[in-house]
Amino acid sequence: MASHAIAGHDDGHAHTHHTTTGLDNRKIAIWAFIGSECMLFASLISTYLIYKGKSLVGPYPHTEYTDAAGKVFPAILDIPVTSASTFVLLMSSLAMVLALQAVQLKGTPLPANAGWWTRAQRSSQLWLGMTALLGATFLGFQAYEFTAFVREGLTIKTNLFGSTFFTLTGFHGAHVTVGVLWLMSLLWIDRTRGLGPKDELVVDIAALYWHFVDVVWIVIFTLIYLIQ
Amino acid sequence: MPKLSLRQAASTALTAVALLALSGCGFTEYPNSTFNHHTDFNTAIDALFQRLIFWGTIVFVVVEAGLVYTIIKYRKRPGGPKPRPIHGNAALEITWTVIPALILVLIAIPTVKTIFQTQADAPAGALKVQVIGHQWWWEFRYPELGIVTANELYVPVGRTVEFELTTRDVLHSFWIPQMGGKRDLISNKTNYLWFTPNADLGTSAWNGFCTEYCGSSHANMKFRLYTVQPDEFDSWAKHQASPAVFSTTPAPVTTPVTPVAQVSGADSTAPTPATTIGYVFPRERLETEFPHVIPQTPYPTGLSFDDALLAGGDPARGANEGFMLGGCIGCHAISGVPGAVSEIGPNLTHIASRHTIAGGLFKNDAPTLARWIKNARHMKPGSLMNTIGRGEYDPILKTTNTGGLDDRQIADVVAYLMALK
Amino acid sequence: MATLAAPACATAPASTQSGLWSWIATTDHKRIGTLYLWTALAFFLIGGLEAALIRTQLARPNMGFVSAETYNQLFTMHGTTMVFLAVMPLSAAFFNYLIPLQIGARDVAFPRLNAFSYWVYLLGGIFITLPILFQVAPDGGWFGYAPLTTNQFSSGPNIDFWVIGLQILGVSSLAAAFNFITTIINLRAPGMTLMRMPMFTWMSFVVQFLLILAFPPITVALVFLLMDRFFGTTFYAIAQGADPLLWQHLFWVFGHPEVYILILPAFGLVSEVLPTFSKKPLFGYNVMVYSGIMIGFLGFGVWAHHMFAVGMGAVADSIFSLMTMLIAIPTGVKIFNWIATMWAGEVRFTVPMKFAIALIAMFTIGGISGVMHSSPPADLQQTDSYFVVAHFHYVLFGGSIMGIFAGIYHYYPKITGRFLNERLGNVHFWLNFIGMNLTFFPMHFSGLLGMPRRIYTYDAGQGWDLFNLLATYGTYLLVIATAVFVWNFVRSRTRGAIAGGDPWGAATLEWSIPSPPPEYNFAQIPTVTSRYPLWDLKDPSWHEGEDSHGDTGTPGPSPLREETETHTAKALGIPMPYPTAKPAFAALGLVVMFSGLLFLRNDLFAVAMTVTLGGAAMLIGGLYAWLTSPLE
Repeated sequence: MASHAIAGHDDGHAHTHHTTTGLDNRKIAIWAFIGSECMLFASLISTYLIYKGKSLVGPYPHTEYTDAAGKVFPAILDIPVTSASTFVLLMSSLAMVLALQAVQLKGTPLPANAGWWTRAQRSSQLWLGMTALLGATFLGFQAYEFTAFVREGLTIKTNLFGSTFFTLTGFHGAHVTVGVLWLMSLLWIDRTRGLGPKDELVVDIAALYWHFVDVVWIVIFTLIYLIQ
Repeated sequence: MPKLSLRQAASTALTAVALLALSGCGFTEYPNSTFNHHTDFNTAIDALFQRLIFWGTIVFVVVEAGLVYTIIKYRKRPGGPKPRPIHGNAALEITWTVIPALILVLIAIPTVKTIFQTQADAPAGALKVQVIGHQWWWEFRYPELGIVTANELYVPVGRTVEFELTTRDVLHSFWIPQMGGKRDLISNKTNYLWFTPNADLGTSAWNGFCTEYCGSSHANMKFRLYTVQPDEFDSWAKHQASPAVFSTTPAPVTTPVTPVAQVSGADSTAPTPATTIGYVFPRERLETEFPHVIPQTPYPTGLSFDDALLAGGDPARGANEGFMLGGCIGCHAISGVPGAVSEIGPNLTHIASRHTIAGGLFKNDAPTLARWIKNARHMKPGSLMNTIGRGEYDPILKTTNTGGLDDRQIADVVAYLMALK
Repeated sequence: MATLAAPACATAPASTQSGLWSWIATTDHKRIGTLYLWTALAFFLIGGLEAALIRTQLARPNMGFVSAETYNQLFTMHGTTMVFLAVMPLSAAFFNYLIPLQIGARDVAFPRLNAFSYWVYLLGGIFITLPILFQVAPDGGWFGYAPLTTNQFSSGPNIDFWVIGLQILGVSSLAAAFNFITTIINLRAPGMTLMRMPMFTWMSFVVQFLLILAFPPITVALVFLLMDRFFGTTFYAIAQGADPLLWQHLFWVFGHPEVYILILPAFGLVSEVLPTFSKKPLFGYNVMVYSGIMIGFLGFGVWAHHMFAVGMGAVADSIFSLMTMLIAIPTGVKIFNWIATMWAGEVRFTVPMKFAIALIAMFTIGGISGVMHSSPPADLQQTDSYFVVAHFHYVLFGGSIMGIFAGIYHYYPKITGRFLNERLGNVHFWLNFIGMNLTFFPMHFSGLLGMPRRIYTYDAGQGWDLFNLLATYGTYLLVIATAVFVWNFVRSRTRGAIAGGDPWGAATLEWSIPSPPPEYNFAQIPTVTSRYPLWDLKDPSWHEGEDSHGDTGTPGPSPLREETETHTAKALGIPMPYPTAKPAFAALGLVVMFSGLLFLRNDLFAVAMTVTLGGAAMLIGGLYAWLTSPLE
């Protein structure tokens, strides 16, 4: 009975506590957290959509703008580049799935005739590192995009588009940054003491967060970049 | 416990009686009451509100009576019956879901009807008035009539008036309780509100308020509405549309700015007092019949003015040195005076024909005007009008004004403004 | 209540520790609940004092008691304090104290996160309250409408405190909500199915979902305002074409669910009190659960009824009007079920029961005036007038506060082991009841007679004088009532009559253990077989005469065992969370981090960066130390 009620999210040792649902507390909490995050991004995205086309001055996302002095600002969104970064982020979700699988499979004996792919699938460090690297690459794209926009004359203060765009994508970028740091700390733990099936939950929670951030980007990419 | 029951029964009865009494209450006692039928808008609202009160009272009586009856009848008594462990009753649950739903339907149908009725486009031929909110005063423009005025509205009875509501700064809300519902003034948006004062409504004065919190002097952003007879309105409008009656043409400000104290005036044309003045709501009628529209704000302590100087105020000097050089022209327009076109502050073309100043906060008379000019920010919290009086402490800048006008110069300006009938 | 005097049961200390540090480092949900209770009551007194100053200024026409600027700070802080620092945390005090006890758990799911929530609340509350002592308190209203709150129109630091303070408090509410959702879903005792949970836990459960879904929109609205004020973005910049209604929509998408966040816990509390003192099960338990869920659900679809005057158009007005009317139905159902709970019962007029009955009576009035607001044309005459002030005070004072007082009188014996003095309690109740009606009922009249809200003064002869004077007298009565309560609350801790484990003859798990509960709550985690386990235990025939037990309860003798002795967790071999001040340290870091922004107002960029980064380092360091140390 002693082990019944208190199941902290933060005690590093194995979880043997009994719970009503049989799920770990942290699993429930992360879902509640993701529900809340949905409302956060819904509010940010709604604001972007409400202000779409309402900017009094350019640069504009999809159309050219000529200012009073006759200076021409081309449509600012670079869809091919962002498509590439979107692809990178999507691939990171795939890597995350493989990372979780690798952690789950750890300790299961390898078949004698295992090929390179089967062996690679067992390397949680490879996939955790890959996910973090792809996430960081996405952030690199975003840093490039932001600086390019500022060079072209769009800052967060320029107009409603600038404010809503940088805030929305900046919030998303901050989430990716947190995710990359999270993944790197998992990688660190994996390198120092090794992650195994007993740690599945820890990786699973990180994966849930990562997939959520990825899905949010798909929505942002569609609504901001693709739909004119 | 019977005490509670008595109290509740009494408060039930009181509510019903009080609300009914209020709906027919006298004009003088409750001069801003929303229960009246002075306009089509208020008539529509009141019909709805009576229905809401009717059903509300019934629900109130049934629920409170049921509650009181229950707690008395089933209070713990020696030898009372053992409580029955009833867990619920589906039929009852359905009943008290369906009955309120039906009552709500009876409210919802006229509600939606009235929404569409009162928010329809104004009928053709409506008098258009642009209402522009400022911190903390009201600008009223009659675009078809070429009138720009402040804080006081004139509207003919029997004709629909349509207000076009905008704001120059923060949000405000336009409300004349005796005429109908309110409507907000929203930045970057134009709102509309219309009503028709009943044709048989006598010439009367009403209070209007700002009802959206808008900063320091939100409470001091009031206005007056005068519902007048059509001929009175025409007379008023004709006069208000004309240039300032005190048609002095001050020296153009092309010359280098002269020190305020320097006396000029020899080169200004003599004032030509107006010969015909249009209709203005009679001040004496306000005092006897509509005292509620007369501001009662006391003068703030620590602001003094030598009222004896007012008698000797020279309007021409006030126009030339005071108005032009004292800074007034930076914010105030006077139609007919070259250069006086700024729209920052209230248009002063016919200021002397108004009964109030400063967003309806003060009576419009010479002593008040003098103090207002001397230190508006002391008179009205947060006022955007600069402190003009020399040596006056400005409560917003937190400095003492070293330039500006002395009392004698202010008296001249007051004399000038009081001549702008 | 004299008959309830329980045997002198031991009032052993709830915890083996004492002293200031033990409170700073506590991770015990009961101690954290107690901290919430004391802190929230302190803020309630501050908010009440602000109200008394407001009413003094309005007692007579053209009073000069306070300046316009001070008045505006007072009404802003009264609203902000009562909503965010008093009523919500008073509810949180009960969430903390009661939820684990009611579901048969030893603590919440994340004890240290729970401590973190409290410390963020306390420090955030101090952050937003202190400025009033220096006349720089927020002055944009609790609703903070843009563009008045932007730099252009509010260039002082006042609004900075508000926007940063609410952001900090939001962190606290969200962290607590994740915690309680997990606790309720995952830590229920064997047999405690969802449909056997006590109604307070149910209503709290709904509230936690409202919190996690409603706080993000206001967080976003506040982030925009914060960025506009500090970093020159254009979200509410009128000159850039911004729409001020963006703020209003985001604010009220939060603001209306917030109303239910404030009222549903009180509904839950009276749903515990009424059955206990009627000796009857809650009437229509299922319907009460569903109506609570329904209210929470519909609560997200009615926000724009706060905006009927902004000119949304006839169609939008109609839709939000009908949605609002709809929400009256589940609310009305609750009222009827409460009355039916007392029907055919054995009603004992204890102090908590009086407050619970008063909630039904008073909330009904607020509900009826609420339906009047739901009709947009009528609302156009009422909104932003004193009629609205009357309406929501009947809902929040007549509803939330009455319910919370019912809860305090009901649970004080459980929390402290002693009763609150009943005589003083009765004085408090009647002064409170009369004072409340004297304060708020006249506001219906002044409102319908044309008195706008949020005005610091008014002229005589407008038909409002009498109503304002009455309201002010009422407020003074409330001040006296509250003083009586505070005296009782403090005095009874040491002098109140000893209460046993189950002083009221209640039915739910929290009453099956000693008062105050031992640190481990339940020596043995109970097994639950019905909604009313303690009644089953004490009088197995209590529900005879009814064909149904109201749920699919397991027949047979109750497996519950009443615990009457207090031990230490150590003696029983129950592992408890270690006390730790790491969450408090992390909370301090969070508040320091946010307050760095304040220096940007004076262009002290280097100082701002130093403070913010220093705070962030404290937060991250605290979190790291906390996450890498074992819980128990």
